[in-house]
Amino acid sequence: MTLRIAWRNLWRNWKRTAITFAAVSFSTAVLVASYALMIGWTQVMEKSVTDLSVGEVQVHHPDYRSERSLYDTVENPEMVLEAAAARRIPASARSFGFGLLSSGSKSAGGQFWGVLPEAERAVSDLAANLLEGDYLGPSPQRRVVLGRKLARSLGAAVGTELVVVVQAADGSLGNDIYTVAGILKGVGESLDRSLALIHRQDYEELFVFPGKVHEIVLNTRGAMDPELAAAAILPAAGTNEVITWRRLLPTLAQMFDSMIASVLIFGAIFLLAAGVGVLNTMLMATFERIPEFGLVKAIGASPWRILREISTEAVILGFFGSVAGGAAGVLIALRFERHPLDLTMFVEELNFMGIAVTNEVPFALTPACVWGPVLAMWAASVLAALWPAVRAARMKPVEALTHV
Amino acid sequence: MKKPFFCAALCAMLLIGAAPAALSADGSASSKEILDHVDDLFRGESSYGTFSMRVVTEHYSREMKMEGWSRGKDYSLIRILAPKKEKGTATLKAGKDIWNYLPKIRRVIKVPSSMMGGSWMGSHFTNDDLVKESRMADDYDHEVTFRGDREGVRVIDLTLMPKPLAAVVWGKVVVTVMEKDFMPVGVDYFDEDMIMTRTMAYSDPKRLGGRTLPVRMRIAPTDKPGEYTEILYHEIEFDLDLSEDIFTLRNLQK
Repeated sequence: MTLRIAWRNLWRNWKRTAITFAAVSFSTAVLVASYALMIGWTQVMEKSVTDLSVGEVQVHHPDYRSERSLYDTVENPEMVLEAAAARRIPASARSFGFGLLSSGSKSAGGQFWGVLPEAERAVSDLAANLLEGDYLGPSPQRRVVLGRKLARSLGAAVGTELVVVVQAADGSLGNDIYTVAGILKGVGESLDRSLALIHRQDYEELFVFPGKVHEIVLNTRGAMDPELAAAAILPAAGTNEVITWRRLLPTLAQMFDSMIASVLIFGAIFLLAAGVGVLNTMLMATFERIPEFGLVKAIGASPWRILREISTEAVILGFFGSVAGGAAGVLIALRFERHPLDLTMFVEELNFMGIAVTNEVPFALTPACVWGPVLAMWAASVLAALWPAVRAARMKPVEALTHV
Repeated sequence: MKKPFFCAALCAMLLIGAAPAALSADGSASSKEILDHVDDLFRGESSYGTFSMRVVTEHYSREMKMEGWSRGKDYSLIRILAPKKEKGTATLKAGKDIWNYLPKIRRVIKVPSSMMGGSWMGSHFTNDDLVKESRMADDYDHEVTFRGDREGVRVIDLTLMPKPLAAVVWGKVVVTVMEKDFMPVGVDYFDEDMIMTRTMAYSDPKRLGGRTLPVRMRIAPTDKPGEYTEILYHEIEFDLDLSEDIFTLRNLQK
């Protein structure tokens, strides 16, 4: 009975109802979409860091990170790689070394990374970030992929022959001629300036350092909690240091944590703003009807009945408004989840603490992004209606009738 | 000046200057005369020599045979004779610049300034050691701080403190020579905090190239016990008639 009256009341002034409905659903849709954007943004940042080159977990000699010595190599790298393979965790072994690259009269220092190209492709997105040319092939061919700024300072293009001179592990002057296979896009300041990616076997010959590895990188690309991945290989790690990216880059990890915190705060503020908007609309709509309530009361309706009817109306309106808005928000978010938002029109290249971040931001729709705003908006519209309803219910009919 | 004697020592051929000043060995020589004697011991208008260099580090040890030429203070050329893998690798010093010739790829590479501080041929000498050289008596205030018996030998210690405006990296240098003939015995290098960072030891005095020289010298970084680079001269000749053509990039590649 109440429901029917409420429903009929809603249609009595359909314009007013439509406006309120629009306000509720619009706010809800905006909230859902912007939550999905913020969550997507933080996920993209985290992924940019871990997938570009850092990985989720790294294994080193315990002194390597502080000393950066050529001789601080991972102990029993095969065991670590086997343990990772047993848990189906993609892993790549990297060997590092400093050396000089020159082309004609130009020369520059570079950080060589000796990797197995396919294994490296599984843990990092360097291969997917080529500006020109190709990634390393599966066999050693004395080819090198250069960081963008390193290539620029050498005046090197794809196909350029580079003379490479390094201090080899046995004290000799390692030297060879390498051909530039590809040049990377901007992937972060230090890699841009110094990265020279070569095949592991080429590295071993150049640096006279067979079987030695400085870093093993694991990256499940989000399939596994980094802490769990680290724990999975820990028994095989021996004296090596096993470290997750969060502990490796604590400042960055803290930034992300604070980003998530700020997402929550922004979320709350958005919610408040949208709530106030809905509140206002509901408030106006209800106040407008106070004379009407006075009339109903004059012909014998109890205050309780008035309250019940108004709140039922609000519940219905709020429900449809927020659900419709939520649905619209989901559609928007899904659209951008499929086709990420391209920020290129705002910024040429995003760089976050020296690590390149993709310009494409996919939205990430989580259940909480949807039911949170829907419930909150629904509650806000009901609450917003209650106050004027209580006032109307308590008014004397005469006053209510003349209320403007 | 980084390691004054390396230049002097590593290669007589790398260096400069007049023949060693005749010294009155009656003990009346001033500290300047002693320092000039030590500086000039390995120097000549020109020189040619063969020597071996043994490098021992925590991670590798290697031994190389080399030959070298020098002309004036600005030009020198050193070529590796053995081991086979590195045979033909050569270093040319011309003024402040250093080029390396790499026979495997048949290229000449100029050592960029950023790598001048790097190791020369895997030794404890840097590329800078090859080009930076000066005279101790010019860059340091010096005085005799010890004269007497040490391990049964009469020696003299000279303590050198850098002059205020001298472009040197050491905070203090202590040079020890034999009292009887001012033959260098050792040099200790201290950093700005007066902590000893490396030592040079001279031994095996022999008659070579018409002079009496300590033919073995060993440099050891103090912070890496057990590591050293040792140079042993096999032959050395001074004041030869060497053509300028020896010290060209073209000759470097031969």
